[in-house]
Amino acid sequence: MTLEAIWLALLGLLLAGYFVLGGYDYGVQMLQSTLARGETERRLALNSFGPFFLGNEVWLVAFAGVLIGAFPFLEGPLLSGMYLLFVVIIGGVVLGNVSVQLRSRHTGRWSRAIWDRLVLIGGVVPAVGWGLVLGLLLRGLPLTPERTFAIGAAELLDPFVLLCGVTTLALFAGHGATFLAMRTTGGLRERAGRAGRPLLVVAALFALAAAGVGAVSGVAAAGLTAAILAVALLLALGAAVVALSKGATRAAFAATSCAAVLPVLIVGFGLYPDLLVPADGGAHRMALPEAAADTATLQLLMPVGALVIPLLIAFQAFNWWAFRARVDERQSLYL
Amino acid sequence: MDAEILARVQFTVTSGFHWLFVLLTLGLAPIIAIMHARYVFTGNPRFERLTRFWGQIYVVNYVLGIATGIVMEFQFGLAWSGLSTFAGNVFGAPLALETLVAFFVESTLLGMWIFGWGRLPKVLHMVLFWLITATAYFSAFWIMVANGFMQNPVGYEVRDGVAYLTDFGAMLSNPMAVNAMEHITGAALLTGGAFVTGVSAYQFFRRTTEVQFFKTSLRTGLAFAVPFSIVTVEAGFRQFPDLNVAQPMKMAVLSDYLQPEDRGPYTVAQVQDMMVAQHGPGDYVPPMWIGGVYDMMIILAFFMVVFSLLGAGFLIGGFIMRSRGAALTIMILIPMPFLATSAGWVVREVGRQPWAIYGEQLTSQARSDVSEGAMLASLIGFSTLLAALALTNWFLIARYARRGPRDTDLGSPGSAVEHQPAMAL
Repeated sequence: MTLEAIWLALLGLLLAGYFVLGGYDYGVQMLQSTLARGETERRLALNSFGPFFLGNEVWLVAFAGVLIGAFPFLEGPLLSGMYLLFVVIIGGVVLGNVSVQLRSRHTGRWSRAIWDRLVLIGGVVPAVGWGLVLGLLLRGLPLTPERTFAIGAAELLDPFVLLCGVTTLALFAGHGATFLAMRTTGGLRERAGRAGRPLLVVAALFALAAAGVGAVSGVAAAGLTAAILAVALLLALGAAVVALSKGATRAAFAATSCAAVLPVLIVGFGLYPDLLVPADGGAHRMALPEAAADTATLQLLMPVGALVIPLLIAFQAFNWWAFRARVDERQSLYL
Repeated sequence: MDAEILARVQFTVTSGFHWLFVLLTLGLAPIIAIMHARYVFTGNPRFERLTRFWGQIYVVNYVLGIATGIVMEFQFGLAWSGLSTFAGNVFGAPLALETLVAFFVESTLLGMWIFGWGRLPKVLHMVLFWLITATAYFSAFWIMVANGFMQNPVGYEVRDGVAYLTDFGAMLSNPMAVNAMEHITGAALLTGGAFVTGVSAYQFFRRTTEVQFFKTSLRTGLAFAVPFSIVTVEAGFRQFPDLNVAQPMKMAVLSDYLQPEDRGPYTVAQVQDMMVAQHGPGDYVPPMWIGGVYDMMIILAFFMVVFSLLGAGFLIGGFIMRSRGAALTIMILIPMPFLATSAGWVVREVGRQPWAIYGEQLTSQARSDVSEGAMLASLIGFSTLLAALALTNWFLIARYARRGPRDTDLGSPGSAVEHQPAMAL
């Protein structure tokens, strides 16, 4: 494995971690108002991810940091090429992040109700947005000879891209419902389990439709590896539905976590050894070595990648272990 | 307005908001770390209440710090992709290190600290906050390394129009990074001290019944504000010799406002001629109004020293606890560090213009090829969103500060049971 490939794997790990962890945050945010009955349950829903929330969101920050540090020549074209899409995603992330944390700092019923709407929006926007980003990458981009591009409405309104957007929306919602079922008790747990199954089925149907449209319209990343991983996504969703119906919430959460990782793998393996591919027979593509930083820089960062990233995961693992108990109303709630 | 101006205004707005929250985070963290340690080592419940009260304000402030930090992390690629096209091999490394070795750890641990009250072992819980404090400053250091590179690029060579990293040690010991880190560390500790002092004074102005609580706070605040108001000024002036070497233009522009011994050897016209000779025709003079902004920072710095000393004087015999006028006077310390440090950043960043990376890349070359319409839309969107969230956040901080330690949510047991607040909002 080359140094560039190792860093690509680490970049993928961080994005996949964000999809799993941020993914259930967004799912819980979307379902919080609908599934919870009364103020205490609404707070319990948010406190189900309470101690992990700040740690979950920094996977996105770490992804952005490694993107600029190890793949600076991808970072600029990618973010500026999908400028408004990323602005909207980041706006949504910021709004959701603040709303989740400030919502219970207000004590009045009306201000909390307003925050709950913003919590919801802050979950939906990044969930759809990241699906659109992945869809665009798989579909192929109008790359210029300078390896830059600009996305317009035509690219965004492509059926395949839109299907990717609704797939991650349903996927994260189902993942969040499964997380709630695993972390809460009583009525909230039951309702979350019941809501999770149809959401995951819908996610599977959207994923199947996206795969079909992608195969027919000839997306750039169509290949055997991508097809195998797409099948794996459907299997993971199926396994999650079965586990949820048996009440095995931990197994179900393991399955939805796999399902949340798979879109990242589909993009990574579907495009490899390129990172940006052209749409509809364009000539220009960005291969891995063009995107990555100079060897001297990658070598300098390597000890950090090799030592610090496992350490970060260990820190978070301790956090998950320390707060592994389900949340209920007997505990003090902060969020 | 053209797209470049819009992109610059957007960076000013997002980084400006980010700074206001980061500054208070950096300032409060060591004060709370000390309070938490005193609680753990003495077992005195007053220090637990102090940690929770000031910790609550810290945590609410941190919400906007991380939110605006996410925007900052993407800002370079979104609007300034030329920076990474030219200097990605060099400039990206400190930013990557900042996210991995500092920001990531800080946020993970803060989540545990917030929810760890009464659930984690006491010593471990305290250690978490000390690590949070350390990573906050570590984070600031990496950002200053990246910013220092933009102010005074070192440790690289340019081959075929792209910068390559040659000496990471030189980047880390860049005087434009190290000097500035000292200056903002002093400023942050001053800010934390001034904030704690000012809020305590406000509580005495309102005739608080928590006399002992805010007396301890006031003392702690002044123990930071008095020395660090002086340290910050000293660290600020200490930057001038290096600045005269690295950025003679900035020093020439500021010349009228500087002491004779700090002034550089050149006039603005002379540096302009030197830069034309070196880089070709162009206007290399930053806006002259940064002189006035610099002057404002200096005047505020002077007043912060004076009011911190005055606060220490008012403490004698408990005068500030009896005299509402004295308390009101000291409250003026709260906004001063935020204004002064913002002015300092304006001088540092606007004074670097027209360069993005001094002497290497112009700001106009660093900008992404994004349309004016898209830039305007994102500027309006980000400004509105961040302004609304920041105002709400400040409102909440002010309310926690006014209500005092009895109404702190952080670490309070049994808050799942709904309590009816006296005033709902």
